[in-house]
Amino acid sequence: MPELKPEQIIALLAPVVVIQIGLLIAGLIDLGRDERRVRGGNKVVWALIIVFVNLLGPIIYFVAGREDG
Amino acid sequence: MTGLGALLRKELLEQWRTTRLPLVVVVFLLVGLSSPLLARFTPEILKAVGGSQFQIVLPTPTAADAYDQLAKNLGEFGALIAVLLAMGSVATEKERGTAALILVKPVSRAAFLISKLAAIATTLGVATVIAGAGAWFYTLVLFEPLPVGGFVAAMFLQWLALVAYAAITFLGSTVTRSALAAAGLGVAAFIVLGILGIIPVVGTYLPTGLGAPARALALGLGHVDALGPMSASAGLIGGLVVISWLAFRRQEL
Repeated sequence: MPELKPEQIIALLAPVVVIQIGLLIAGLIDLGRDERRVRGGNKVVWALIIVFVNLLGPIIYFVAGREDG
Repeated sequence: MTGLGALLRKELLEQWRTTRLPLVVVVFLLVGLSSPLLARFTPEILKAVGGSQFQIVLPTPTAADAYDQLAKNLGEFGALIAVLLAMGSVATEKERGTAALILVKPVSRAAFLISKLAAIATTLGVATVIAGAGAWFYTLVLFEPLPVGGFVAAMFLQWLALVAYAAITFLGSTVTRSALAAAGLGVAAFIVLGILGIIPVVGTYLPTGLGAPARALALGLGHVDALGPMSASAGLIGGLVVISWLAFRRQEL
């Protein structure tokens, strides 16, 4: 197992962090659009799902949450 | 099968325009990248969290742990995403009336169903390739290289298992008018197949049975008999498509 320097570890972690935060922000921006209609009609619930359901939250919203998605 | 090509193009375009394809690819990439990282750093994280009170000595992680973590994450998150993709595929179109609008055109019902499942399988396939590539590269950097050919074959088996879960949910989506009921069937099948998978002989021929040959292939553990489990899962998917068609062909839309 190769030894890694801290900066190498950070370089490996960066894409993971960027993707996770990117998914969360993309989900919230899409949810915040005025014309966006969501399943069940309650945007607050979907915001909570996007933020708190680890990893799957944004994808549950994008695939199953949007009325026209 | 009238109109299959046109319907398949429509479905693939829909996977792209509704952002399902890019989104699933991104989530699978996240799974692929984070699995070797978790395998490598879990002992250090536990040590840091536990401090001096943490007395358990964990073995040094290996490339096999990285693959096991990937297989576990793909088997859980991947299967749930397969269920999510398939749950509304037919049910929502029936509910909204768009299925009836499409089927007045010169396209067969079989083509309508096959194009939908093929598009879902394509999305899962592209995502599995990306997850596999990411995981292979991170395993190379964090541990050691895994055999490329075996790893590709392992990803194919993982994909086949995901398509099987999608096909089960797809049947639910075809039979009912509720995407939630279809998702319920998919999740129930995931649990039941997980339990049945423990039974030695039966388990080999279920989608869960693809895990063992996939692991052996990915880690290059010698001769692997993947043909039986692979044929069984492919047969299951084919059977589910036929049952979906039998249910759908005379259905009132």
